[in-house]
Amino acid sequence: MKEIDYVEMYALNIKDNPELFKQQKKLIESQMHSSSTLFRNMFKDTDFKTGARIYLRKIGLLK
Amino acid sequence: MKAYNIEEGTIILNRDLTELDIFVKDFLEVVKKHTKHLIVSGFVSISSGRTRGTEDVDVLIPLISKENFDNLFDDLEKAGFWCFQGNKDIAYPYFSEKVSIRFARENEMFPNMEVIPVDETRKVKFFELSHPQKMKVDNFEFNIPPIEFEILYKELILKAKKDIEDAKHLRVMFSEIIDEKRFEKYRPIILMELK
Repeated sequence: MKEIDYVEMYALNIKDNPELFKQQKKLIESQMHSSSTLFRNMFKDTDFKTGARIYLRKIGLLK
Repeated sequence: MKAYNIEEGTIILNRDLTELDIFVKDFLEVVKKHTKHLIVSGFVSISSGRTRGTEDVDVLIPLISKENFDNLFDDLEKAGFWCFQGNKDIAYPYFSEKVSIRFARENEMFPNMEVIPVDETRKVKFFELSHPQKMKVDNFEFNIPPIEFEILYKELILKAKKDIEDAKHLRVMFSEIIDEKRFEKYRPIILMELK
């Protein structure tokens, strides 16, 4: 089964079973918490914005 | 119960708010006081159930004057958002040149709001900003493009794997309300982006 078929299968399931939104919520929030922890730790010894802008320039999100 | 229903033309999603929704809601509550908005791309699919992560949420807003921009910027800062580019005097030259600027919550980088300025010269984006579809989750209402427009834009312009999968998700999720005639109407408009 290809990944695109899983996308279709999941959409078909969630359409009739909105309980699946609860799993999706957990995944989204877990990603947000991990990201938040990672970057807070990364810049804990410096001013957050200064450190963030240096990082953002390195990854090309800030020119 | 179904995942969504339609009430007076608004797509109502039958689910609880996520922390991502609350982030976008808080941002848009400020934007709505100053100008109109349109949420595009990944968040449209994710809010309707697509299970994938995202680091940014794209929002189109009209190209506004420096005075209006300053008021919006001040209110966003008061609401606890910071701008990646810098203060309002640094950010506005980017914005006025139609370069996106980004905002996140204080002491956070992700998720962030990518604010995309639009005027009549950006024909495709101007069209979708002018043809909003309302979507609602709990007490959070926001504008998205017509579903058919969003699908075609992902299939014809963006075309990355995640975009093709997002389009597939939207086609299946909203199959009951998709109007095939609208695909033909929107196709030539979207293809202007390639010219």
